Amino acid sequence: MSLMQAIKARDASLLPSRRDEAWRYSDLRAAIREIPGASPEASRPTGPPPLVDVEADHEILVLNGRAEAKGFLAVAGAPITLRLRIVSDAEHTLHQSALTLDLEPGADLTLIETYEGQGSAYVSGFSLAISLGAGARLERIVLVDEPADAISISRSEIELQPGARLAQTVVCSGARLQRHETEVRHPGGGADVRLDGLYLLDGKRHADLTTVLAHTAPDGTTRQLTKGLAKDQARGVFQGRILVEEGADRTDARMGHHALLLNDGAEIDAKPELEIYADEVSCAHGNTVGSLDDAALFYMRSRGLPEAEARALLMQAFVGEVVDRIEHDGARAAVQAWVARRLEALA
Amino acid sequence: MAAVTQTVEHVASLEGDKYKHGFVTDIAQDFAPKGLNADTVRFISAKKGEPEWMLQGRLEAFERWQAMEEPTWARVHYPKIDYQDLYYYAAPKARAGPMSLDEVDPQLLETYAKLGIPLREQEVLAGVQGAPRYAVDAVFDSVSVTTTFKKELAGAGVIFCSMSEAVREHPELVKQYLGSVVPASDNYFACLNAAVFSDGSFVYVPPGVRCPMELSTYFRINAENTGQFERTLIIADKGAYVSYLEGCTAPMRDENQLHAAVVELVALDDAQIKYSTVQNWYPGDSEGKGGIYNFVTKRADCRGDRSKVSWTQVETGSAITWKYPSCILKGEDSVGEFYSIAVTNGRQQADTGTKMIHLGKGSRSRIISKGISAGRSSNTYRGLVSAHQKASGARNFTQCDSLLIGKHAAAHTTPYIEARTASAHFEHEATTTRLSEDQLFYAMQRGLGQEEAVSLLVNGFVREVLQELPMEFAVEAQKLVAISLEGSVG
Repeated sequence: MSLMQAIKARDASLLPSRRDEAWRYSDLRAAIREIPGASPEASRPTGPPPLVDVEADHEILVLNGRAEAKGFLAVAGAPITLRLRIVSDAEHTLHQSALTLDLEPGADLTLIETYEGQGSAYVSGFSLAISLGAGARLERIVLVDEPADAISISRSEIELQPGARLAQTVVCSGARLQRHETEVRHPGGGADVRLDGLYLLDGKRHADLTTVLAHTAPDGTTRQLTKGLAKDQARGVFQGRILVEEGADRTDARMGHHALLLNDGAEIDAKPELEIYADEVSCAHGNTVGSLDDAALFYMRSRGLPEAEARALLMQAFVGEVVDRIEHDGARAAVQAWVARRLEALA
Repeated sequence: MAAVTQTVEHVASLEGDKYKHGFVTDIAQDFAPKGLNADTVRFISAKKGEPEWMLQGRLEAFERWQAMEEPTWARVHYPKIDYQDLYYYAAPKARAGPMSLDEVDPQLLETYAKLGIPLREQEVLAGVQGAPRYAVDAVFDSVSVTTTFKKELAGAGVIFCSMSEAVREHPELVKQYLGSVVPASDNYFACLNAAVFSDGSFVYVPPGVRCPMELSTYFRINAENTGQFERTLIIADKGAYVSYLEGCTAPMRDENQLHAAVVELVALDDAQIKYSTVQNWYPGDSEGKGGIYNFVTKRADCRGDRSKVSWTQVETGSAITWKYPSCILKGEDSVGEFYSIAVTNGRQQADTGTKMIHLGKGSRSRIISKGISAGRSSNTYRGLVSAHQKASGARNFTQCDSLLIGKHAAAHTTPYIEARTASAHFEHEATTTRLSEDQLFYAMQRGLGQEEAVSLLVNGFVREVLQELPMEFAVEAQKLVAISLEGSVG
């Protein structure tokens, strides 16, 4: 990531800008004029973690770029839940860190990965390298809930072995510039990937969900669904790319992105890409951008529902599909509760 | 379906090389000295007897172009073009006296006869009874050689002539509109075109006039090492309607040839322009040797309220295609349409699509794109749909389907969607599939040969777009698609 290079060289001109194709809707160089100083150590947060109701077997805390551990190894056996809590507590300073997560063949892990922040105008960078052994299963639930003036870039690289299963749901509320990138190497051979996302934005918040998924060998399936809502002057960005390499025959991949603009002035930018070099593939993507259905709103109001409530209901129905796909019961309930609170702010 | 039978027969009857337009016409030609500098620009301008303001515009564009960099973002690969190793102007040697049809070099007429273009009015008239008539402007290498049906068109008030003639006869229109849709600074190839364009077609349809016949231009690159840089400008004044067809061919040559054209369309209030292209430039041989680099900028400006522009393209030729016919939907309730079939085979590379830029209230657009890739070719759909904050009620529907034939073909879809108004409704669907074995098997067990079966299935796949073409072109396009895919299965 050139964010790392720019930090190392302390040269903001190395940051990617909208002139770089992969960053055309999220201009990092415009957001960071100068590389800020390093964040100091901070004391452990005293409040409860986000999605506190999910019971976790293990917890790793990353505080202002200082991680308690270098990584985590999930062994085969009973399902494990790991809480990875990335906390920023800084003013106008920068911090970053990296972690690895390995799943042995046959391991079964639920990862609750949350991003939270105290203070303001910090720049946070985080990267995660994940590998899944044959037949391993990972459900990754990511919640990015940060202050409106923060800049936060997180990136993960995921490698799967045949027969592994990855299910990911990223839920975010945006920030001054918030980007969550996922890069997946999909080996086919019965491996299965689900990549979901949800952004709920208001004010001047900006969220960017970017995924690059490469099918490298035959017989892989991918399902991807991202939804979003943007209110006020918020800006939602979805960039999804599915690459089917030569030889990855019989790949079956579906991508969907659907977003609603709640008022004029908000903006949605989407770039759903398919790049196919293989035979006998079945790939499709769908993309829609629109607004809340006036006829449905009118119907509900005519049945006595106040407008705000009717709008909230419609939004809930719209985004519910993404949340419902979370498989871990506890995590689904916790995310549902967080989304319900967030929708109140958007209604 | 008679047309399908025809296609099948046509494919069956093909022997030897499938590119039937690959001949060279040996006629005396005028060339500009090889290479590109300000003097080349002056030479072209002087050859055309242009006024000073045109020359100044060209020189400014040339100045800009020198400072620009060739774009590299498209998914196409080719060796660097040596712009100094090209001829920028080639014209059949004109004889003295006015150019009436009888004085046109008979060899030239023969060329067009081979291409199947009925240049002579009597030939057109001798065509099938009741068939619509076409007014044809034929552009040979750099210049327009003849325009038919001018008188009849003039009776309706329609101006249809070569660009050089328009500069002489209608400078006020050219001054007002040329470069107003695609300015010289727009992109590298458009800028090059603005400096060295040699000819092209000019159409003006006055207010309230429905152009009485289809207009058509045939472009032909003949001379060796020649770039073709034509420029087309079509203006439909308030309430006017015009349908325009464009066809292109080139001889088979081992080296690559450059085609960098600019097409500008202007539609005022309630005007409609229908622009159809059957692009069949030489695609190179199956190993990727030779072929045309087709780097074209086409854009329509729907300036007027309720104006409508419809692009239909059938792209089967060219080694490399880099082309995005676009609509700027400025007028309220203006409409843009894009229907495209892009077929690539051998080692062809196509990066093509459209831009629909919604600026006006209630503007609507529709995109139907069908890409077929066979052999070792690469076929990319690249499109942009955007809605400005003021474009309330904007609507777009996009459908891009790709069909893969064979193990080594590549198909890509890169759409950009940018919405800034809550009342915009954008829908985009894309699919990529392989030519179905089941359907192929079914067609073959009913007695069709493999190539007939492929051609039948493919014609079914692209039918939605073929329907948008004027009838004669639809038949030609259907044949072209079949020929382009010959030998792609098995």
